[in-house]
Amino acid sequence: MIRTFLSLQWKEFKRSASFQKGIAIKILLIFAALYFGSFAILLGAFLFKILSEFFPEQDPITTANNYLIFWFLFDLVFRYFMQQMPVMNVKPLMIIPIKQKTIIHFLLGKTMVSFFNFLPLFIFIPFSIVLLVQGYSPVNVILWFLAIVAITYVLNFTNILANKSNTVFYIVLSVIAVLAGLEYLYINEYFDAFKVSEICGMVFNALYNYPFLVLIPIVLAAFLYYLNFDYLNKRFYLDDAISKKVKEVTTTDLSWMNRFGKLATFLKNDVRMIWRNKRPKQVLFMSGFFLFYGVIFFVQKQYNDMPGFLAFASIFVTAGFLFSFGQLVPSWDSEYYKMLMSQNIPYRKYLESKWYLMVLAVFISFLLSTPYIYFGWDKYAMIAAGASFNIGINSFVTLFGGALNRVPVKLNEKAKAFSNTQGFNPTQLLIALPKMLLPVIIFYIPYLIAGLNAGIISLALSGVVGLLFRNFFLKKIEQVYQKGKYKTIEAFGEN
Amino acid sequence: MITIDNISKTYGQNTVLKIDYLKIPKGQSFGLVGNNGAGKTTLFSLLLDLIQPTTGHIKNNGIKVHESEKWKPFTSSFIDESFLIGYLTPEEYFYFIGELRNQNKADVDALLAKFEDFFHGEILNQKKYLRDLSKGNQKKAGIVASFIGNPDVIILDEPFANLDPTTQIRLKGIIKKLAEDSNTTVLVSSHDLMHVTEVSDRIVVLNKGEVVKDIVKSAETLKELEMFFAGTDVEVQISEEE
Repeated sequence: MIRTFLSLQWKEFKRSASFQKGIAIKILLIFAALYFGSFAILLGAFLFKILSEFFPEQDPITTANNYLIFWFLFDLVFRYFMQQMPVMNVKPLMIIPIKQKTIIHFLLGKTMVSFFNFLPLFIFIPFSIVLLVQGYSPVNVILWFLAIVAITYVLNFTNILANKSNTVFYIVLSVIAVLAGLEYLYINEYFDAFKVSEICGMVFNALYNYPFLVLIPIVLAAFLYYLNFDYLNKRFYLDDAISKKVKEVTTTDLSWMNRFGKLATFLKNDVRMIWRNKRPKQVLFMSGFFLFYGVIFFVQKQYNDMPGFLAFASIFVTAGFLFSFGQLVPSWDSEYYKMLMSQNIPYRKYLESKWYLMVLAVFISFLLSTPYIYFGWDKYAMIAAGASFNIGINSFVTLFGGALNRVPVKLNEKAKAFSNTQGFNPTQLLIALPKMLLPVIIFYIPYLIAGLNAGIISLALSGVVGLLFRNFFLKKIEQVYQKGKYKTIEAFGEN
Repeated sequence: MITIDNISKTYGQNTVLKIDYLKIPKGQSFGLVGNNGAGKTTLFSLLLDLIQPTTGHIKNNGIKVHESEKWKPFTSSFIDESFLIGYLTPEEYFYFIGELRNQNKADVDALLAKFEDFFHGEILNQKKYLRDLSKGNQKKAGIVASFIGNPDVIILDEPFANLDPTTQIRLKGIIKKLAEDSNTTVLVSSHDLMHVTEVSDRIVVLNKGEVVKDIVKSAETLKELEMFFAGTDVEVQISEEE
């Protein structure tokens, strides 16, 4: 029976639209997987060395245990965003003679072989091997490793049971914030009652020091598996667990947006689209992470002498939404594109409204990036110049790229981690290049000639110039959209 | 109102629609019938410039639909669920369409009030998104949305399918009323010969992409259509058996 299921799954995977892509993309995806995989393995292998260098007075395994709590909390956050719930096309299976329990075991088993549960293996297997080589007691190390795997499964089943509950997510987020905050205060000696990492570390150190405790996470994981099983088993009806939940809708009055005139119609719609659908909401949250891009570069001293990289980072700080949302215009409207094309809508208005939305997003990101002043006014000026470039140039490049993008998007389905090839095609990659390289060039050449300020000014000016040509750009983009209209309608129809 | 001139649509070797000439005068209530694959939806999609004609052109009020967008303000349609925006509530959707057609909230409300019967209490104030409504209710919302803004041309593809009997009868009443108005041209396609003869002044039968019958409605029409389709049915079966 399991074999039949497996073959069904295999067919679903092989015949899914996202897999039916060109060979080039498959190779790229394999490379990406190899890249992340080998990165994780390397991290695992060198973790021991890294930890002993940063915390020379502490046993690396103790340090690792102290910070494990953060790993697991972030694991939960990551899962909330990315992990798919165990959905299988169960409906046709319900009426044929297969034991219901078999189906549920299979569904739950399927979640166990997900990317999220393998990632820790990539890191912790090499780490454990290094520990063994370093002469740590094999019993302790191996059982500790098993405990980590068991906890990963505890998280796996907790996540499914919580079923994307927003409450759980916000609780996890606030726990992270509180723990990280206390840890930060302790390190900077504002707060000395206790060190968070040491308190939480006690739990994981105990798992290492008393290896028989491994039983606890294993039992817990098994118990959660049982809870999930029981939950699904009792609700295995079309109108229950298997069905989509229809929540009562509360509508928000957006009439204040009417001040935007003709565009308000579309803006209101876009705001609702983002807020009421899983996929765009996911993109919105993800684009928030771009805001922190600057931190990576600004805190590391060596980049201070490489302003090219800093310009690159500055572009990213305000471009999160622009890049991630913008590259899927007009795919966001793919589900009802035919209607838009036959309604009383001039193409120009449609594009303009999307443009305003992206500009608004850049502007808001810029406001949110104010704390970067901490890294110095020059950095902040650079971000401002980057925002100008994003508004004046990148917004148009993104819209133009959208015209070449004909991938239908299912609004209310989250993107799957690493199987998401929507919007991932050679054209998109080509379009992405100027978005990131052009600003660096515009910044770097004047910088070489006349110094940092010249670079910043020319980057900022390029955005202003782009804005001056706004009508021209929009007209050209509109023509490209018009030209591809039939092809786009057809491609979106395959939704 | 609508002139179809030498229009054809070919996919590869396969011609799915070929109409030499067809004129639909203003105010006519036009019914289109045919079996699956006869080309009904293709014709409507061409009318709405959703697909590109292989040859020929369609003029809507003198405007070539694939060259200008000027026909959009006075033409409205409901082809399938992809004309609905799933994440809006029916009310929000009606107001959205209203705004596109320069109707304010009050105009839309006034229009919706006329369809209270038709909605049967299942559309408005349900606190549900369109995507969560049943197929039949989605259709009701889509059909009524196509009436917003007093369009001159209304195109409805298979409006009777998926509706319950009561709603079908009410919809027939609504379409007949629209047909009385000499300014509104209504184009309806259907599989249901009885419904379509009841609401139309003129019926065109498509078969394998070609117009095989073009009749002005009379008492005999339904019988004539039934005979025709019974005949083709037999033919198709025989040719498949060979």
